[in-house]
Amino acid sequence: MTEPIDPPNHPPVERPAEDDYLHCIRCGLCLAVCPLYRLTLNETDSPRARVAVLRAVREGLIEEPSDDTAARFFRCLLCGACTFTCPSGVTVDRILELTRGEMSDQGLMPEPLVALGDRIAEGHNISGEPNENRLMWTDNLPSPPKGIGKERAEVVYFVGCVSAMFPRSYSVAQSFVELLEKAGVNYGLLGEREWCCGYPQAISGEPDRARKTMRHNVEAVRAMEAKTVVTTCPSCYHFWKHTYPAALEEEIDIDVLHATEFVADLLETDRLPLRDDLREQTVTYHDPCDLGRKSGVFDAPRRILAQIPNVTLVEMPENREGSHCCGGGGNLESLDPALSGAIAARRIQQAAETGAKTVLSACQQCERTLFSAARSERIRVRSKDIVELVLEATA
Amino acid sequence: MPNHALIQHLQEAIGAEKVFTSLEDRIAYSYDGTFEQDLPDVAVLPESSEEVAAIVRLAGKHDVPVVARGMASGLAGASIPFGGGIALSLTRMNHILEIDEENHTAWVEAGVITADLESAVEKRGLFYPPDPSSNEQSTIGGNIACNAGGPRCLKYGVTGDYVMGLTVVLADGQILKIGGKAIKNVVGYDLNALFVGSEGTLGVITEALLRLTTKPRFVRTARAEFPALEDASRTVNAILDAGVVPATLEMMDETAITCIEEAMELGLPLDVEALLIIETDGSDEEAVLREIETVARVCRKSGAREVVVAETEEERERLWRARRSVSPSLARKAPNKLGEDITVPRSAIPEAIRRIKAISADYGLPIVIFGHAGDGNLHPNILFDKRNEEEWRMVERIVGEIFQVAMDLEGTLSGEHGVGTLKRPYIEQALGPLSLDVQRRIKEALDPRGILNPGKVLPGQ
Repeated sequence: MTEPIDPPNHPPVERPAEDDYLHCIRCGLCLAVCPLYRLTLNETDSPRARVAVLRAVREGLIEEPSDDTAARFFRCLLCGACTFTCPSGVTVDRILELTRGEMSDQGLMPEPLVALGDRIAEGHNISGEPNENRLMWTDNLPSPPKGIGKERAEVVYFVGCVSAMFPRSYSVAQSFVELLEKAGVNYGLLGEREWCCGYPQAISGEPDRARKTMRHNVEAVRAMEAKTVVTTCPSCYHFWKHTYPAALEEEIDIDVLHATEFVADLLETDRLPLRDDLREQTVTYHDPCDLGRKSGVFDAPRRILAQIPNVTLVEMPENREGSHCCGGGGNLESLDPALSGAIAARRIQQAAETGAKTVLSACQQCERTLFSAARSERIRVRSKDIVELVLEATA
Repeated sequence: MPNHALIQHLQEAIGAEKVFTSLEDRIAYSYDGTFEQDLPDVAVLPESSEEVAAIVRLAGKHDVPVVARGMASGLAGASIPFGGGIALSLTRMNHILEIDEENHTAWVEAGVITADLESAVEKRGLFYPPDPSSNEQSTIGGNIACNAGGPRCLKYGVTGDYVMGLTVVLADGQILKIGGKAIKNVVGYDLNALFVGSEGTLGVITEALLRLTTKPRFVRTARAEFPALEDASRTVNAILDAGVVPATLEMMDETAITCIEEAMELGLPLDVEALLIIETDGSDEEAVLREIETVARVCRKSGAREVVVAETEEERERLWRARRSVSPSLARKAPNKLGEDITVPRSAIPEAIRRIKAISADYGLPIVIFGHAGDGNLHPNILFDKRNEEEWRMVERIVGEIFQVAMDLEGTLSGEHGVGTLKRPYIEQALGPLSLDVQRRIKEALDPRGILNPGKVLPGQ
């Protein structure tokens, strides 16, 4: 399996894909790591084929791209396993993001993604509900979080659309604010001033729309005079940290941390006292693509687990940089839920093979996808976000 | 023009969901691991020998070529559907049907990925030695059809040495089963050997019975750094003269080292002309250690600046990952590469390298050299930009000159990649007219209508 090496430098946005695809020498190494190809065993689903189709568009073999052409660029998890493994340095996921943009400009964006982009542009979140509902996840907490309604805060918890708007994932946000409060962190919530981070639009090929929402979010955090943004969502994290500065063409004077980094620090500086009577349990950890391979955060979640008493971590063979996508990446679920589910089934199977009874992730999307797969496959492995486990372990 | 009748018949025979006809799908089935490509008329993904047979029968009925392929990582153009026809992908026939622990055999479908077979048998303490560098992106069927080699061939032999039986779909659609689990078998001609390396031109391999061995319990791997390439190539013989047969004896030159280091940052030295990666293995730990110590001593005596023996499995895997990535990582240096696969008698390695470096200097195009030095199999890779017509013309001349070097030194065109289309123009020179004539007659006997991967291996009349 892939061994630990530094994650590739994802170049800043707008690097022309013009020459990048030419470096594909069709060696096929990407087929070995592509979750989609490994499932369908059809070359047409391989990263190499996507690059070949792009090349055919550029060189005129495909004279006029059709919906079917565009589908080759959209039917992908953007998990980045191919980019990571490519010895020729072809950044397939970046190329696809840019090509999705080109396809969208030609009116070839698949319908569900058009609708998604419109929802975000109009309602500022992915759900289609009014953005005022962004704090509904706090309703059934014993007392309202202290972060609500603050004018100033040291830290802004950027909740993200999924944990804020989809009841299935409320517990991620709920657990995290409880941890913040237990540790006495001076944090604030943006409520309806929080807009979608812009990631879904960017990967559907709508960079301009994405930039608008990014700009708004940066201003909202600045208005709180916060020095730090922390997210539980790896996609928000990846986007804030690695795309915001380049896309907005400015230095963003805000530290961006993922909840796992934040919590690991709290635990290691004894700001979150832990129970010592937690039951013995064996867990495995699923590295979310946006947090791990794409952002290089592998150690923080493992540092957390090392701190919690009576928890034993067993790794899946495909871990860290070699992690297998949960199936929830790249907006694929919006296009082909069955395919996304089949990929998730592979991953939950890998988790079950470790013998662990719980699969932890650090992503509400991974958590949900793996949960559904465990259900549909009738596999007795619980899916949980790591912040939920930390909350259970705190005194 | 799409052949509607053929497509309809294929859909009826194996199911519409296994038949792919859009331009985008055909593009996906138009290439292999070279820079060549051509569009098939249709791509199919059968799931059984019977479905393959139905497809081949339809190819005959409609008189169109049928080109079998696995994961299309080949380096000779053998699985590219030049002239259209049916691209027949065996990737969905990926079941390991049986691992017989008593008789040390594995019975597998052709689309099993080589690395998957390796790990499946190793879980049972068994070992499938052939190890093409593309083991994660190539299939057993493709390995057999091209008689793939790999680093371990020096000690263990090539893919063909492990084939005990085959299921082959013949040109008329009949399903032929040959060989079996008996180790000794001299009844009739050795048809296994006939289909090994036949590149889909004599039949479509759909299943294979493979010989396994027990897994060597101990392995030691050393990396030797040579300031002078010449010293590295001399060392190969010195090691074998010292009575050690390493499991592998790999060499890479300066450019290869630089490319890998740029791609992977493994901490390889950038100021040497060559590295040797040498591995000893066996079931007796002391013997394995003694052998690697002998190897290290010989290397130092023949000019190695430093010899590092991997201490952990991670370090070892790191070295092998580096070696496996040489070929793909060359793309960082130039948009195109042409990887050759010549073999020469071991004693001629230093001379072969000298001559190839001279060719590179003459034309001013970089030629990277790496390969399986232990068995004289070298992979000179020419780096160029195919869009530059002048460079492309030079490449064509260089290829001819490299083959000439191999033949002058009593070697041959290909050690493990196969002929495909890229080496086809040179095959007559390599084999001579009589051998070629015999091979043509075999082809005509098995595929009289010439529908199986036409235009490959044997040159036109």
